[in-house]
Amino acid sequence: MKKNVKPWTAYFQPALVYILLILGVIIVVVPLMWAFAASFTPNHKVFEYAYPFSWRALFPVDFTMEAYDNLFERGFGRAVGNSFFLAIATVIIGGAANALAGFAFGRFEFRGKQFLFLTVIMLTFMVPVDLTAIPRYILVNNFGWINTWQGLLVPGLANSLVIFLFRQFFAEIPQELIDAARVDGASWLRVLVSIILPISKPVLVAAGLLMFISQWNSFFWPLLIAPRQEMRVVQVEISLAIGQYGTVWNELLAGSMIAAIVPILLVMPFQRYYVQAITGTGLE
Amino acid sequence: MRLNRQLIPYLFLAPALLLLIVFNLVPTIATLVESTFILSLRSGERVFAGFANYNRIFNDPVFWKSLQVTIVFSLLVNPIQIFLALCLSILINQNLPGIGVFRSIYLLPIAVSLNVTAIVWGLMLDQNSGMINGILTQWGIARQPFLHSVDQALWSIIVIASWIGVPLWSLFILAGLQNIPPPVLEAAKIDGANAWQSFTKITLPLLRRVLAFVLVADTVANFLMFAPILLLTNGGPQLSTNLIMYETYRRGFLYGDLGASSAMLSVMLVIVFIIIGVELYVLRGQD
Repeated sequence: MKKNVKPWTAYFQPALVYILLILGVIIVVVPLMWAFAASFTPNHKVFEYAYPFSWRALFPVDFTMEAYDNLFERGFGRAVGNSFFLAIATVIIGGAANALAGFAFGRFEFRGKQFLFLTVIMLTFMVPVDLTAIPRYILVNNFGWINTWQGLLVPGLANSLVIFLFRQFFAEIPQELIDAARVDGASWLRVLVSIILPISKPVLVAAGLLMFISQWNSFFWPLLIAPRQEMRVVQVEISLAIGQYGTVWNELLAGSMIAAIVPILLVMPFQRYYVQAITGTGLE
Repeated sequence: MRLNRQLIPYLFLAPALLLLIVFNLVPTIATLVESTFILSLRSGERVFAGFANYNRIFNDPVFWKSLQVTIVFSLLVNPIQIFLALCLSILINQNLPGIGVFRSIYLLPIAVSLNVTAIVWGLMLDQNSGMINGILTQWGIARQPFLHSVDQALWSIIVIASWIGVPLWSLFILAGLQNIPPPVLEAAKIDGANAWQSFTKITLPLLRRVLAFVLVADTVANFLMFAPILLLTNGGPQLSTNLIMYETYRRGFLYGDLGASSAMLSVMLVIVFIIIGVELYVLRGQD
């Protein structure tokens, strides 16, 4: 009978876990809720409930679309369009290039495989792109690509982390599946498109999310390469707004919320894939 | 036909590898080469200068100050983030009702860019009417200057970086925790180990690889911290947040001195290679 009675500490521990988790949630959610609410607030009232603090700061109690209206009137829609275009182009073109490379590394034996993987993939994975931005800038400048779509897009297409993800996934596909198609005389490209791709949804979603979000959130490179107004992406536009319209807080926050909501809406339905994508290399 | 077959993997590799070589590998080497040239963005002239750029930065107190700030920042932010990430990963690894909701919420900062985080937290930490000061005054604590104070600005950057960093790195540690087979922990329990003992004697040693990876990746990421500095402090007040990545940007793109900038980046590249070398050394020899 005594076995059925839990000691009081058994209740204490989950309670403590919940308290700590909720504390963390407050730290995560409160800034986002305030920023979201403030973006729907007239500018002169942005800080009204933040200082001194009241719970009303977290909800748009003086609701207005003024900030969003003004923002788009000033051409913010262009930046949003630019970011979407770049992110989608990166997913499609970069995705194809990275998948092909991952396929070669995952399914073929060829001379120089180990060497190429260690030098090109591992080295480019370990050296952060921002660290080499200046010579890349000089290079792209020599191509005449400053303030062009090529300059924004092409250097970020190949992604060693994404190649890595594809390699891992393709390496685990059963050989019989491929052999059957090869016996039927299908070309490798055909095997890839009609056999491999249909069963590769997890890695396609993971890689697609990773490429889309890292392009959408990228900042340093677009800041250097495409400062001209028509070429600006969302991240650059909001960073410049802080200097130009530093006191129009509700517009600054409205731009930030648009920049934030797109990756959030993409990540939430596909959490498992996204987590696998970003933690994929850490456990190798 | 046979030759053709052997060429296939190379054809598949070609597009991505060429792009990586041209835009990533070549610039890595070029950073080192470029640091021996003096180039002006304005005039476009490029002159070989030997070690002149290095001489200039090594004799420049602003560079040393910025390196010092970066080292202090690294020594603070990395242990803080990894400790909190470890705690968070243990919390979200608990098998409790509703834990999935918590995991989802902790993904939010990871999806948001560092720029957005910096903008929102910059306003939250506003010295006059930010929410944090709003909460402090309600608790009877005086308003704090945060980003405008030599003593608090770097700590404010640490808070901003950690808002993303802690949940991000906790995902890696969580994945490591979930790789530990439950029977191992049950066996320890049967042998009479308490929670603390099984954590320090079993969980932590099994997490060594993951923690080593997180330590290196986090150190490298924070070493390149840039956006919050550009958006919020411009390195100030009194250079107290002038992290090295911002200093290279300031030199290269605001002052047009790409030579000095490349020399600094080369120094950073060497430091990053040392960090990675240590990682590879530590991770080698254990399975």
